[in-house]
Amino acid sequence: MREDTRTIIFAAGTCLVVSLLLSVTAQQLKPLQEANGVFDVKRNIVKAFGIDIAGMSREDIEATYAAHVDEDKAGELPIFTWTEDDADKASKYAFPVSGKGLWSVLYGYLALDGDLETIAGISFYKHGETPGLGAEIEKPWFQNQFKGKKLYEDGKPTDFQVVKPGTELTDTSVDGISGATLTGNGVEELLQKDAAAYAEYFKSVKEGE
Amino acid sequence: MASASKKILMDPFSDNNPITIQVLGICSALAVTVKVDTAIVMTLALTSVVTLSNLVISLLRNVIPSGIRMIVEMAVIASLVIIADQLLRAYMFDISKQLSVFVGLIITNCIVMGRAEAFALQNPPKESLLDGLGNGIGYGIILIAVAAIREFLGFGTLLNKQILPDSYMGNGLVLLAPGAFIILGLLIWLQRTISKYVEE
Repeated sequence: MREDTRTIIFAAGTCLVVSLLLSVTAQQLKPLQEANGVFDVKRNIVKAFGIDIAGMSREDIEATYAAHVDEDKAGELPIFTWTEDDADKASKYAFPVSGKGLWSVLYGYLALDGDLETIAGISFYKHGETPGLGAEIEKPWFQNQFKGKKLYEDGKPTDFQVVKPGTELTDTSVDGISGATLTGNGVEELLQKDAAAYAEYFKSVKEGE
Repeated sequence: MASASKKILMDPFSDNNPITIQVLGICSALAVTVKVDTAIVMTLALTSVVTLSNLVISLLRNVIPSGIRMIVEMAVIASLVIIADQLLRAYMFDISKQLSVFVGLIITNCIVMGRAEAFALQNPPKESLLDGLGNGIGYGIILIAVAAIREFLGFGTLLNKQILPDSYMGNGLVLLAPGAFIILGLLIWLQRTISKYVEE
């Protein structure tokens, strides 16, 4: 057989074997990977509602989600509601937040208390910020500061701020991260943007009461 | 174990270490060494890829047409890396999130391609397998050493367990790329002093 015919046959054979191998693997693992993705979202919604998930197993989190969280629509936008045991009405509301950080898009969930103004919790679950600096947004010390702050006042979004550490805090500001001012600015902007996007919806919920 | 095989396996641990002597695989040695757990998983992923790619390429070494030799090597390595990445996403989701693109970038890790070209193409399967394993472990030793130093100084933890008191303020420099460069440089210096290696 001529050398170049052999080369072509070998190349074709390699492609065939490799592509078969890869498609079978991808197909087999797909359900597991999708389940991981769905679980990751649930875990972060539960966390945003202010539940301490550090010691919880995957089953516990799934069970908590199934028992308390319902998905709904705020017009075109997704919204998640939290209902306590034996309550017939939702007591907390959560919605996805996202926006640009320094290096990457930050994705998270923010939950509001029943008064529809006070933040119940926040979680960031996907980002590509610098470990030790911008990536601190996923740490408890940063996220816990948001609890009890006001995202809305009298139905209007507040001027929520992420400020330089050391600045005196109000009920609409939290400490930023030293060395990660731009990530902090990103968090501030995405909160203001998404608070504005959901303002109408929360107003209508309030008026419906 | 015969001394020749032993030498093939153990040489990359120190005297012919892929990172500190050959200075290959630096990109990932900087990127995934912020925490020890990610470094360990990265080591496992790279070791399995380089071991298997060496084995496969060595088995094929007499039938690969020389004209498309490197493309075939690339296809083998890339497939193994994709499989490793898919497995991580399915079974170790949190760690795969932290490693993000760096598992995929094993494809471009010079150690893998380098061992295929320099060793597996000329040597029988058993030796190639040992060579791959040795180089994977040699890479891992340095990776985990750098990660241990960075995690300890940067967070005061090891494997996410608090070692230093809570009042310890993490050192931000070691968590960034420059810190990794400095630590890696010091390790290379130490290694070369011990093994009396001189650049020719």
